[in-house]
Amino acid sequence: MIEIVGVSKIYSDTIKALDNVNLKIEKGEFVSIVGQSGAGKSTLVKLLICEEKPTSGKILIAGRNIVQLKLSELPYFRRKVGVVFQDFKLLPQKTVLENVAFALEVCDALPEEIKDKVPRILDLVGMLKCKDKYPDELSGGEKQRISIARALVHSPKILIADEATGNLDPINAWEIIELLDRINRRGTIVILATHNKAIVDRLKRRVVLIKNGTILSDKVRGGYVI
Amino acid sequence: MSWITISRITKLGLTNFWRNRWLSLASTLVMTLTLLIITLFVVMTMVISKTTTMIKSKIDVAVYFKDSATTQEISDLQQIIAARPDVKEVRYISKEEALRVWNERQKNQRIKELIKPEENPLPRSLAIKATNPEDLKNIADFLAQNQYSPIVHKISYEDNKQIIDKLLAITSFVKKMGWIFSITFVIISILVILNTIRLTIFTRKEEIEIMRLVGASDRFIKVPFIVEGILYGFLACIVATIALWIVIGLATPLTNRYLGSIVTENMHHFFISKFLLIFLMQFIVGILVGIGCSLFSIRRYLKV
Repeated sequence: MIEIVGVSKIYSDTIKALDNVNLKIEKGEFVSIVGQSGAGKSTLVKLLICEEKPTSGKILIAGRNIVQLKLSELPYFRRKVGVVFQDFKLLPQKTVLENVAFALEVCDALPEEIKDKVPRILDLVGMLKCKDKYPDELSGGEKQRISIARALVHSPKILIADEATGNLDPINAWEIIELLDRINRRGTIVILATHNKAIVDRLKRRVVLIKNGTILSDKVRGGYVI
Repeated sequence: MSWITISRITKLGLTNFWRNRWLSLASTLVMTLTLLIITLFVVMTMVISKTTTMIKSKIDVAVYFKDSATTQEISDLQQIIAARPDVKEVRYISKEEALRVWNERQKNQRIKELIKPEENPLPRSLAIKATNPEDLKNIADFLAQNQYSPIVHKISYEDNKQIIDKLLAITSFVKKMGWIFSITFVIISILVILNTIRLTIFTRKEEIEIMRLVGASDRFIKVPFIVEGILYGFLACIVATIALWIVIGLATPLTNRYLGSIVTENMHHFFISKFLLIFLMQFIVGILVGIGCSLFSIRRYLKV
């Protein structure tokens, strides 16, 4: 499903964020990408969501090289890839329901579709009861659930979580991971970039370790080893 | 684009306009000022050129004849002149008529009494109007030929020429100043509006980022800002039109006093008859500036 072939990203002569990375992710996988800050996790995530282009190499998603996507094709690509960030990125002046609905509105969705999908996805992340609250009234964990709901509302095939638990306490963090796990069991590829050892160790899923821009190890049932 | 999208985008633009109402107000006011300056310049130029044409059409060449010239000689010359293609009208003014005009113009009874019908020193003359005021010189030159000097006493062209030249100089000066003012204001206004829109975009950077993240098309991100730009232009155009009414109302006594009622009448007439045109011009300029500035400002935020 996702194939990263010989990808390098060089910002300047001295900064080589990724160096000849090769990675294959199959349908339905849950992959944790771990490594220290500055190892290249975030760069890899940015390349995967087409926010940056690699200096060399190919990134194939469903057989299509996303490096060659035109600017006009980007929005349609982004609807197929859900992204969750450490800082949630919710609109403060919109309610929970509106925040999730907004993701559909900007993509020309019909009102019926919005009415149907949004409550279902909020229910999935366990936030339907908070649908009329504003982000300021929610805890970090709840905010992250909303941001996951928003990422999922397009029914993407891939969900990328960049340090999704970075701002959360251990209990909330674990709840989010369980939610991601549940989403993964429904068939969505989940890519989790993190440096949280406890989470990775407990998950017992595939772990890709990145160091200095190269893949150091790739274990099917790994733990966090540096 | 579906209706739902159009209504969503428009609503977003309107909401944003309201949410940043102080910034919006600033943009609208600057735009209003610009439109007002441009419009005043256009109205002024047109009124002045219309007034100039009117004054020009009243200017004529008068040939005064010596008393020794015979009626036959004068009438021959009148026919020759009337046949010229550049001459619009030739009118013979007899001694009696000249006296009548003199009497009408003189208010002082003692001066009036200086000239009596029995011994009338006023010369007979031909008042000649040209099709084109610029041709008056040719006509004057024609009359100044030696063959007519025995009968011609004086040609009153030089006096008029000075007035015409002065008028033309004033018109071109006003036009130049108008251009300079308008261009300066358009530039200032574009800069201020650009900055205002940039500022609103900057305050909504996060929102734009989220929109991009969830897969909003460029169009969906861009158009609300364009809607805002259109709103600036539209509101500015309405305010400018109202302000124009007030400005013209206030300026009327002044123009009456300094420029005479012809200019004032022309201005009123022009403003009323061209109201729709003026409004349309302001509308188009306002909206184009608004859209242009919005597009320019948002460009760099969509380059990822």
